[in-house]
Amino acid sequence: MTTALTQGLERIPDQVGYLVISEDGVLASAGELENDERTAGVIMQMVQTACKFRLHGTADPPFKRLSVMFEDHAYLVTVSGQKVFVVKRQSNQREPINA
Amino acid sequence: MGCCYSSETETTEQDRDERKPLIPHPNPDSKPVNGTERNPSNLPSTRTDEQALLTSILTKTALNIIDVSAADSQGMEQHEYMDKARQYSTKLAVLSNTLSQKKPTPLPSLTSQPHQVLASDLVPYSDMQQVSKIAAYAYSAISQIKVDAKEELVVQFAIP
Repeated sequence: MTTALTQGLERIPDQVGYLVISEDGVLASAGELENDERTAGVIMQMVQTACKFRLHGTADPPFKRLSVMFEDHAYLVTVSGQKVFVVKRQSNQREPINA
Repeated sequence: MGCCYSSETETTEQDRDERKPLIPHPNPDSKPVNGTERNPSNLPSTRTDEQALLTSILTKTALNIIDVSAADSQGMEQHEYMDKARQYSTKLAVLSNTLSQKKPTPLPSLTSQPHQVLASDLVPYSDMQQVSKIAAYAYSAISQIKVDAKEELVVQFAIP
């Protein structure tokens, strides 16, 4: 079951690590995120917070993916079937974000 | 005075009940009525100009003050306060119950194809720049909100 979950993640372009998290804890991890419980905890909290946002009159969260952008890498997060999928990808966006 | 236009008010019985103040108006006779200010020309012709002027002054004054001294003496009895407090607590308890039931909601499913969603292009730099700019504007706007004290909240009325 774990391989089916992670096979697609390994083929994602520029990925340098991933996490699959359930509410009970980390189900799978690899690359730079291998056994990274701390990142898993932080991302879990961010997802739970983001999922509380609702646009007026809608029942579901109005987004498919949560992007945490850094200068040279990004964490991309989504939820499917009660599991949180996190992929860390290299980013080639050179200019830094100031704010 | 002031009751001749009460038929004009459009508030329903329920509306009125919801808007009923916790502390009743100390002097209900001077309570302003909807329409008095808006339609001064509709005043009955029998009323003299002087009376109309007086009415409008009284109405405006009543709208602009909260008589805190009268609230103590003519306000609610102790048991009325307790009843109100109980009533509000009950309503709050009902509301907080529904809130706590919603709290442990499981994570919603954002997509049925997580791999595709994660593999799609990163957020473009221009989008992020725009979001940063909007956030900076919002932060700047919020930081400029301030309370400006202009006049005393409680003033003494020397009524002869």
